[in-house]
Amino acid sequence: MLIFGERINGMFTDIGDALRNKDPKPLQYWAVKQEEGGAHYLDVNSGPAIPTEERVAAYEWMVNVIQEVSQLPLVLDSTNYNAIEAGLKVCKRPAIINSCPAEQVKIERVFPMAIQYNAGVIGLTMDKKGIPKDADNRVAFAMELVAAADEYGLPMEDLFIDPLILPVNVAQEHAPEVLESLRQVKMLANPAPRTVLGLSNVSQKSPDRNLINRTYLAMAIASGLDAAIMDANDDDLVDVAATCQILLNRSIYADSYLKVFRTR
Amino acid sequence: MALTGLEIYKQLPKKNCGECGVPTCLAFAMALASGKAALDACPYVTEAAREALDSASAPPIKAIKFGKDSVLGDETVLFRHDKTFYHPTTLLIYVSDTLSDEELSAKLQEIKGLEFERVGLQYTIDGVAIVNDSNDAARFAKVAATVAESTDISLLLLSDNPEAVKAALAPLVARKPLIGAATADNYEAMVNLAKENSVPVIIKADGLDALNDLVEKAVALGYKEFVLDPGSRKTVETLANLTHLRRLAIKKKFRPFGYPVIAFTSNTEPLEEIMEATVYVAKYASAVVLKTSVKAHVLPLMTLRQNIYTDPQKPIQVEPTLHSVGNVNENSPLYITTNFSLTYYSVEGEVETSKIPSYILPIDTDGTSVLTAYAAGKFEPEKIAEAMVACGIADKVKHRNVIIPGYVAVISGKLAEVSGWKVVVGPRESSGIVSFSKSLS
Repeated sequence: MLIFGERINGMFTDIGDALRNKDPKPLQYWAVKQEEGGAHYLDVNSGPAIPTEERVAAYEWMVNVIQEVSQLPLVLDSTNYNAIEAGLKVCKRPAIINSCPAEQVKIERVFPMAIQYNAGVIGLTMDKKGIPKDADNRVAFAMELVAAADEYGLPMEDLFIDPLILPVNVAQEHAPEVLESLRQVKMLANPAPRTVLGLSNVSQKSPDRNLINRTYLAMAIASGLDAAIMDANDDDLVDVAATCQILLNRSIYADSYLKVFRTR
Repeated sequence: MALTGLEIYKQLPKKNCGECGVPTCLAFAMALASGKAALDACPYVTEAAREALDSASAPPIKAIKFGKDSVLGDETVLFRHDKTFYHPTTLLIYVSDTLSDEELSAKLQEIKGLEFERVGLQYTIDGVAIVNDSNDAARFAKVAATVAESTDISLLLLSDNPEAVKAALAPLVARKPLIGAATADNYEAMVNLAKENSVPVIIKADGLDALNDLVEKAVALGYKEFVLDPGSRKTVETLANLTHLRRLAIKKKFRPFGYPVIAFTSNTEPLEEIMEATVYVAKYASAVVLKTSVKAHVLPLMTLRQNIYTDPQKPIQVEPTLHSVGNVNENSPLYITTNFSLTYYSVEGEVETSKIPSYILPIDTDGTSVLTAYAAGKFEPEKIAEAMVACGIADKVKHRNVIIPGYVAVISGKLAEVSGWKVVVGPRESSGIVSFSKSLS
């Protein structure tokens, strides 16, 4: 189970301000803090804090300042592929591109770039028309991404299918469909593509967000989830991820398994 | 094992004609993978499609049977802890037809002696590989007949000359020997000979690429009872080949390699030869041909084979009979434990360290630990008392004291009642046995 720390995102005011003021400290603070929490990758997203024309330079700067304090690999999160490419050029370790929908034009831009920079790809099970409601259509989009990976020569383990979870308070019927999608995605290829979710979405604007997040995380991992973009400093949540590793016989049990999960 | 959507998609024509009723080939592949459509709906699928269906239903490695109860192949995992290895490696002894009649009869005597009984288990050698080193077909047939007459174990007839194999095989068809080897030069004659007589045949080529080609040619002759020989004779190369063959068959469902594999040892120094054979037994060889037939060489190999092929999900048990540690006498104490090997050997190790000669009686609890057995009603006072009578301990010691594990102290009263012995409650952990034993005298 891989944890992609979500906190370095321009939507948070401290990061937004830091981006505008070119102040590396908040980014570096969260890079270190998320690693301590148990993150394996750091998601990096400028959000709308930076005007479009400055995004390319911003991503290069973000990657560089984070790499000054952290060895963790990065997940470059943007819809601006030029910005992602600028980031990939300065990444010291293989990164992951977040993200590419099942649209031919974007596949043609993203997959060759992933191959060139030895990066992974998060593939979204949606197209221009939006997010499908049921599992069947999500899986059909996943299949297109799997076929694209095969065509471009992206190793299946480097493709992360994201079946797109939506907030349970307004799109409740999506939650079980996403679990079913996770199960079916594992049958698409051998070796199977990996799976990822933007976990915190499930609890947007609900009370008891942490409880919803960690309950859904356990359900999703049991359904085949390999990675989550999530709050790496929610200790209860990270404990759930660690406990799932034990209960699915993926890590050898030890009494100190919670500690072991965070230190490896 | 179902096929993945991508595997099916790659077999489809990619015309996106929609004649199957589904708009695109990709969507049709998905429908097939989830069982919502049949392949017949597509008018443009090729031979590859049939193969796709075939490999989806067939087991990854074919079972090949020959001789006296020898079963090769039919395995499903790369590591025994993932499930288990099912069919223990068939061990065959190499007998050259260049041996004189006297040497042959001495060799056969030695092979007959390869039967052992150890810790309650029976080990036997499975077969003889008769090899046509003389290049003389008549001599080969004669030696094969002599071997067949002297023993009823499985036979392998090995020659590059199909005529020699044919002559040796004719009187022995009823024994269903394995024959070989079909090579690039003789495969048509050899495979057809196997087909006519319904016996399995070794397909031998130099390296995996050549082996792949040859298997495909041999399959085209309409026969599939194969055992593979990738031709390597050095340990390191054979290990690599055995690993690739098993992986491709299981992980990739690669049909040309979906057959059991035979390995031949090459070391001439017997101790090195046995080391070489242990590698092949541990790493996927379904049959191994050995040159040595000396009992002291073969016993450790058979023991290893026994161990590697035990089912790891079943607890390992020790014999539930009276065991003794050291030079026991009429004053030796008696410890009770269970026949779960982990439990038993924990106790035995500590008793040994105590340096007091002792008896240990493991109760048959189906190989479960003391507390597990107690909770499951398999470690009851009545059962322990019965086992004490059955093992005849009363005639072996003067005293009437029995030591039970501390965790089941609660059964001491009842056990004293039903056995008539004085029950001493030992320490809870076996690590306490050493200090406990000092308090005994």
